Amino acid sequence: MMMQHGKAKAARSNGKKTESAPHEAPAQGIWSGTVSFSLVAIPVRLVKLVEPGRISLHLLHAKDFSPLERAMFCPEEEKIVPQEEIIRGFEIEPGKHVLITGEELESVSPERSRTIEITEFIDIKEVDALYYDHPYFLVPLKGGEKSYRLLAEAMHRTARAGVAKFVLDDREYLVVIMSRDGALAVSTLHYSDEILPENALAPAAEASEENVIKKTIQGMMTGFTPEKYSNDRREKLLSIINKKVKKRAEVEAPEPEEEEAAEGVADLMSALEKSMRATKKGT
Amino acid sequence: MNGKTVTINSRELSLSNLDKDMYPPYGFTKTRLLEYYSLIAQFMLPFLEGRALTLKRYPQGVDRDFFFEKRCPQHRPAWMETAEVPYGEKKVITYCMANNLESLVWLGNLASIELHVPMAKADSPGNPDSMVFDLDPGDGAGVLDCARVALIVRDLLSGLKLESFAKTSGKKGLHVFVPLDPGKTTFQDTKTFSRAVAAIMQKKFPGLVTARMNKEYRRNKVFINWSQNDASKTMVCVYSLRAVEKPSVSFPVSWKDLEKTASQKDPGKFQVLAPEASALAEKKGGFYRELLGMKQRLPHTWA
Amino acid sequence: MASTLWIGNIQFGGISVPVKLHAAVSQDRVQFHLLHKTDRVRLRQQMICKLDKAPVPAGEQVKGFQVDERKYVLIDAEELEQAEPEASRTIDVHEFVKTGEIDPVFVEHVYYLEPDASQKAYGALAAALKDMDAQGVCTWVMRKRAYFGALQSAGHALRLNVLRYTDEIVQANSLGLESFELSEKEVGIGCELIQKLTVHFEPGKYGNEHQKKLRDMIEKKAHGQKIALFTPKHLKPTEPGTLLDALEKSLKGAA
Repeated sequence: MMMQHGKAKAARSNGKKTESAPHEAPAQGIWSGTVSFSLVAIPVRLVKLVEPGRISLHLLHAKDFSPLERAMFCPEEEKIVPQEEIIRGFEIEPGKHVLITGEELESVSPERSRTIEITEFIDIKEVDALYYDHPYFLVPLKGGEKSYRLLAEAMHRTARAGVAKFVLDDREYLVVIMSRDGALAVSTLHYSDEILPENALAPAAEASEENVIKKTIQGMMTGFTPEKYSNDRREKLLSIINKKVKKRAEVEAPEPEEEEAAEGVADLMSALEKSMRATKKGT
Repeated sequence: MNGKTVTINSRELSLSNLDKDMYPPYGFTKTRLLEYYSLIAQFMLPFLEGRALTLKRYPQGVDRDFFFEKRCPQHRPAWMETAEVPYGEKKVITYCMANNLESLVWLGNLASIELHVPMAKADSPGNPDSMVFDLDPGDGAGVLDCARVALIVRDLLSGLKLESFAKTSGKKGLHVFVPLDPGKTTFQDTKTFSRAVAAIMQKKFPGLVTARMNKEYRRNKVFINWSQNDASKTMVCVYSLRAVEKPSVSFPVSWKDLEKTASQKDPGKFQVLAPEASALAEKKGGFYRELLGMKQRLPHTWA
Repeated sequence: MASTLWIGNIQFGGISVPVKLHAAVSQDRVQFHLLHKTDRVRLRQQMICKLDKAPVPAGEQVKGFQVDERKYVLIDAEELEQAEPEASRTIDVHEFVKTGEIDPVFVEHVYYLEPDASQKAYGALAAALKDMDAQGVCTWVMRKRAYFGALQSAGHALRLNVLRYTDEIVQANSLGLESFELSEKEVGIGCELIQKLTVHFEPGKYGNEHQKKLRDMIEKKAHGQKIALFTPKHLKPTEPGTLLDALEKSLKGAA
């Protein structure tokens, strides 16, 4: 999810521990809203363009193999806190928070939270790959199919991409909207002030071996065929799993507690007994 | 030719990996899998319609890794119909539905060899329109033992004026379905009832039947898995392929044929393979359709 | 200088260039904590047993691959380790391709490389890649994971783009989009409109204004001021029948 993705990145870069809200149902449609350019409005849904080939391993309770699920937990009361009792807080000094509601968050940039408004177009080749953060596809919603096709086709013919900003939860994203094999794709971009300068790393040095290096590179030039490279770990893990599946080395989680038999079961049992007697006579 | 674009009901589908043998070394390729689901669709779709599907996908074939998928892939076609159904207490899952041929073919292209369906339709996930007795033979028992149990269950139910229908699991077991009126039935009802049936069967036929899940109790016996009557459970759909050695399918079997096969003691007759399935469905599967829309009521919900 | 994340050695055709990895992007964004509404206690994320409804400490957790309803095959740490790539310090460059051949959608993450010992080889490689407009396709193992990437020049420096594996990229044709007949006139006006609205990409001009507004809002609230609430607007979709009209009006507006 875009929101979580952003948070994960932020956590990585500043080292601060962050949390994301537990699953808000329905979590699958990442976002739905409108893409607009000039007076044309296209209803769309955001879907993944990248499906990490990760094998999903479930966390289980070691004692009985019950599945575990993520939940927000109040350490003071030692209890699970339901979604409706959770609120965002900004820490202004240690232990002191300003509470911010969902409505307040949405009010910060209300014009951008439901609409990706393309204000200008660019030549996508001008965007360094360094700016790309996370790509998604846009899928047209009912009634938007034709204008969606038009935007994709016109951007394809002109080799242009749209630039827009939009807000999801507590983040504003700079995005490019691109035509990709007849579909519209959107990628979030890093802001330029988030890109670190590279010039401090390597001062211009004299390059004595450059000719040797150039010759070597020339000899190794080829076309880009990414299919040649695959994720071996996934294959290895799958084959380990598969061996175990073959051996039927599976464990079983317990059924949730059965409620006591409902009322009227005595009647049911006697009806069944009666039917059973009749059946036995017949056979 | 490993990929191809087809148009079904004016919807374009790009099919991939068509030459992949899904049942090596049997030679049942992805093309044949898609052909099978296309041919069987007219018989199968009524049983899939309006139900939240759980897919068992085998992208590399049945002898390789698979995954169990409830969420409908996000990169589904826009026309793919989905259903949002609560899962557990907090989550809602968006499931695929196969309400038409193109959806079924699209799912087949995902290498969804097995299609599993819940006992309730997605628009009323708490109200089952059937009750099931999943007859699962333990080690040392077989489909003929299941057949014996199925016939007793049939008679027991008919004593309570309940009609039932049987199908093979496509593996070693049998499934007995009792169509019900979803408007008048909850999972609590079907669970209570099926559990009572399983208990009484175990009591009367202790050498043949067990109602307990634990493997050690199942040896040489038929396990009547009543716990499938739950909103969270799914059963393999009738006519679905099974991921076993050969491309066998879960197939309807009339009580008459079941009695006959049981008396002939020929377990092989319970196996139906994909290549013969659609012709056989045409000839023999008609009775199973009666199951749909037959609105029976369980005796303890009569009050 | 940002901290070093990893140290390795670029290798190809008998050439070796020792480097240090650094972050290329740093985000500083407003971070919220999640609190309990009733008592404002900061909440922690915990793994809860679905059956016991109680937190399960890490020591009592095991990993399982789901094979059926409630059925799992357990995978232990040793088995996970078997799937890990062999540790190494080498960034193996297998081949070179022209810059521009790599679809930017493949780029997952970018690192800067700093020369570790030999300034000369480093400088020569950066200069050669720049002159030849080439990128080196490479693989390496870092922190128990195998990576696939592209090495390129960035000014006088080198940059390493971590690439996604091909099978992770969803193909557009899997979206099952229906084709729609478009008139040449509609597409023509659409193209014209796009041309009119085209500018050069100047990343510096897009600031994160929202971030500033968000900070202002928090500030206000901290001082006890009321926050005005606005509801986001929903745009009405352009009907297929009125698309041409909307395009023509847009073009007039842009002119």
